[in-house]
Amino acid sequence: MRTLIQLEVMRSLRNRRYLMFTVLYPALLYVFFISAYSGGNVAGGIPAKSYFMVSMATFGAVGAVLTGNAQRIALERKSGWVRQLRLTALPGRAYTFGKIAACAVTTLPAIAVVFAIGAIEGVKLSAGQWLGLAAVLWLGSFVFAALGVALGYAAQPEAVQPLVMIIYMLMAAFGGTWFPVSGSLKNFARFNPVYLYNQLASFVQPGHSMNTTAAAGMAGFLAVFVAGAAYLYRKDTKQA
Amino acid sequence: MGRMSTVTAGPRADGEVAAFRRVSKSYGRVKAVNGLDLVLRPGETVALLGPNGAGKSSSLDLLLGLREPDQGSVSLFGGTPRAAIEAGRVGAMLQSGGLMGDVKVRELVKFACDVHPRGHRVDEVLANAGITELADRKVDKLSGGQEQRVRFALAVAGANDLIVLDEPTTGMDVSVRQQFWASMRAQADAGRTVLFATHYLEEADSIADRVLVLHRGRLIADGSSAEIKAKAGARRISFELHPADGPGEETVLRTLPGTVSLDVTGRADGVRTVRIRSSDADAGVAALYRAGLYPRGLEVTSLGLEQAFLTITGEQDAADSTEEDAR
Repeated sequence: MRTLIQLEVMRSLRNRRYLMFTVLYPALLYVFFISAYSGGNVAGGIPAKSYFMVSMATFGAVGAVLTGNAQRIALERKSGWVRQLRLTALPGRAYTFGKIAACAVTTLPAIAVVFAIGAIEGVKLSAGQWLGLAAVLWLGSFVFAALGVALGYAAQPEAVQPLVMIIYMLMAAFGGTWFPVSGSLKNFARFNPVYLYNQLASFVQPGHSMNTTAAAGMAGFLAVFVAGAAYLYRKDTKQA
Repeated sequence: MGRMSTVTAGPRADGEVAAFRRVSKSYGRVKAVNGLDLVLRPGETVALLGPNGAGKSSSLDLLLGLREPDQGSVSLFGGTPRAAIEAGRVGAMLQSGGLMGDVKVRELVKFACDVHPRGHRVDEVLANAGITELADRKVDKLSGGQEQRVRFALAVAGANDLIVLDEPTTGMDVSVRQQFWASMRAQADAGRTVLFATHYLEEADSIADRVLVLHRGRLIADGSSAEIKAKAGARRISFELHPADGPGEETVLRTLPGTVSLDVTGRADGVRTVRIRSSDADAGVAALYRAGLYPRGLEVTSLGLEQAFLTITGEQDAADSTEEDAR
């Protein structure tokens, strides 16, 4: 199984378009937001450079794993690569594990690049906070990796791209990626995994500790997405 | 529920590579495979023939465990298809088998060698499949025929006992096709069992030592290529009867052994041209002389597997429609 995972990671890192979209795009947006707010705060009093450092890191990470998994799986189901793999001695789950592992590796540059820009722009955190924040955001991305797998098995390649984009953009828009969620929108945001994902980072703000409600919510979404992915995977295996 | 996927073992299993036992599979109302009973023995090179939609690919899917039969059971090396694949005993090249993108040919073939329990060395596999010169090309940038050869490399990446190929030479040009069959023969000579589906009848004729004809999900012929031709009455006897040599009763012609069809045309000068399609030309010609006829310009020619194939499937169609009419 290790061979397959290596191959999956390598081809993801080799895919330039993928890296542009998941690493460069959020980084550029981050720079744009910092200059647009010119050192000010977002609503709620958090400095824009801190707020968008988190939201752009999560934006990049979610984009990396959603599009990476969903599109690849949908395409490879259609091309027959998934069938071909079933003719090897590898267990069926190896394919999905390979995809998720590749995602886990590709989210790291997305997070690291945005953090580096943040540090240069003057975001001040302790070493422990930097590491903790990176770890939390990295772990959180697995929730979306599972969603990506589920979507990849749910739809055909022609349908999956617009589907992923709509879900991704809606979750981002109402999850605090572009602006802080406030007022009545918060009632809905509780059911939005991107919002919960962003909330995981709140422990680095002064006077905050780990948001356990958000962490529990993320765990719940992870369970739901994994179950969905497993169900759709089995259904697909029977048809193929 | 008659859903018994794959249980077979016991003493018989030793001599059989693969077995279908009363296997049926439907997709909606279409019976893709209908009561298939079949055993493959070690070392055979078997061609699976049939028109489009005859159930060839479906049968191979069932054989490889990619699908479960509705009825009956499929076994590979006395166990489940999955167990045989995990033990590295089966290599397969499917029409619908895709390749991983964004990687080089060598990387993909190396992967196949690595995951095979008895994998060969990469360079060896590349050479056997004739793709050494493609090793550093990106998989996404290959032509159809080149892709086929990479698929073949994946199928022979390890020491398999059975190789299954679905329409392997589709998209290959003539010279590549010959190379391909040369490497295939090397596999068969090494004692491997080879099962291939094809619609190129000359491939079946020249390579297989056993030919299976599938039609509408049923096995309608099973034998050597010569036997299949004989079954179809696949030899033509033609000669002339001259009035000077005696009357030559047509009733004699009708009762010749092995005659499948008879065509007699007469000319004004009394010379009759006789064309017989026969399933047993040797006996037919012997009986001709025994009956005292003197055939002139006697020729016995083979009609080829293609004609035999068309005859057999055509007869089956006719039989099926009579059966339907009778209902």
